[in-house]
Amino acid sequence: MDTSTFSEAIDVLLVEDNPNDAEFAMRALRRGPTAPRVAHVEDGAKALDYLFCTGEWAARDPDMVPKVVLLDLKLPKVDGLEVLRRLKSDPRTRDIPVVVLTSSKEPRDIKQSYASGVNSYVVKPVNFEAFNRCLGELASYWMGVNQSPVGSGG
Amino acid sequence: MTHNDLASLLQQLEQAHAQRAAVEERLRAANEQLEQRVAERTAELTATVRELENFSYTVSHDLRAPLRAIDGYANIVIEDERGKLAPDSERMLGQIGENARRLGRLIDGLLSFTRLSRADFNRGEVDLDRLVLEVAAELQESGVAGNTRFEIDRMGTVWGDRELLRNFWMQLLGNAVKFSSRAGRPRVHAGLRIAADGPIFFVEDNGVGFDMRFAGKLFGVFQRLHHESDFEGTGVGLAIARRIAERHGGRIWAEGRPDEGATFYFSFPRECHGDDSIKLA
Repeated sequence: MDTSTFSEAIDVLLVEDNPNDAEFAMRALRRGPTAPRVAHVEDGAKALDYLFCTGEWAARDPDMVPKVVLLDLKLPKVDGLEVLRRLKSDPRTRDIPVVVLTSSKEPRDIKQSYASGVNSYVVKPVNFEAFNRCLGELASYWMGVNQSPVGSGG
Repeated sequence: MTHNDLASLLQQLEQAHAQRAAVEERLRAANEQLEQRVAERTAELTATVRELENFSYTVSHDLRAPLRAIDGYANIVIEDERGKLAPDSERMLGQIGENARRLGRLIDGLLSFTRLSRADFNRGEVDLDRLVLEVAAELQESGVAGNTRFEIDRMGTVWGDRELLRNFWMQLLGNAVKFSSRAGRPRVHAGLRIAADGPIFFVEDNGVGFDMRFAGKLFGVFQRLHHESDFEGTGVGLAIARRIAERHGGRIWAEGRPDEGATFYFSFPRECHGDDSIKLA
């Protein structure tokens, strides 16, 4: 899905500045049995614009919320922790499940993410096969196992 | 005593007094200078430590991504071109991926080693009997221990950092399990002996052992006595164990013979032992 066109509903918002990691993640997600609809943005500012329907997404329907946000921590413009804090401190976006997907195993990153209300913290494996497996498990959990707050009302 | 004598004495006294005041002043100035120098050096050291922390943080994040890209694209080409590649080309692409993954493991090992020096040290009473059983159970549950038989003697308690000691036993038992995995009946025995200057703990296995000529290399970072193709690993496990022993003021050493197993010994200083462990003798 191209950045400029994803005005329709999506399942996964992938926030990732590394183009290689983004390519691998989308490939792994789409090949899984759940085949989620994925949109990709490459920095924190765009992620906030998308989720709060501002900037280039001002016309987007705010009721269409992804089932999960996969969030890298080290991002240009607005970093991942800041995106997380903004999402979790706003009643409009607080319920959206956010999974930090990062290369960092640093205890301080893990602590700060949980303190800011992250729903899950996942370290990207260096090993490509393990990375694929990890993305597949994330997709099947958040698309299948987990009961999403999205569209569950009524 | 004449009036002159008295005046001269008084003058001498005054001179001595002035000299003493001058010495005191110099001493005070020197002290002040010393304190300032200590403060400066401390600030320099703190800055260096911070720089190292930032460095390992950068390493952990920035080196992983390109490695994953190397492994990833090599794998994708193999996958997408299956059947179309010359066998040797496929093998070489496989080697590219394998080496990227290996470098990833080395970086992880190095990072977990450097993280040790930064870890907080919280001293408390640690129940070794429980801790060692927990570690052994974890090795068994994760499948690492295979069909290894553990014999664990009573060890009482020590004063130390629980998390670090847990890591310590994980490295030592993990090491013993790994290098005895090819024995007919792998066996790992952990316990303690009482020596003249306190208890000496040991972990003994019936694995491949090692040549005592290379004993000095056992505890170095990235030092390995066996080929990675024989026993997987990065060569930081025992370096981690030594660092943890040292942080407790203790020491670690090993004895072994090729094909006749290895025994790792370690002792902690007296202040690490509660009354409980002494009574075990």
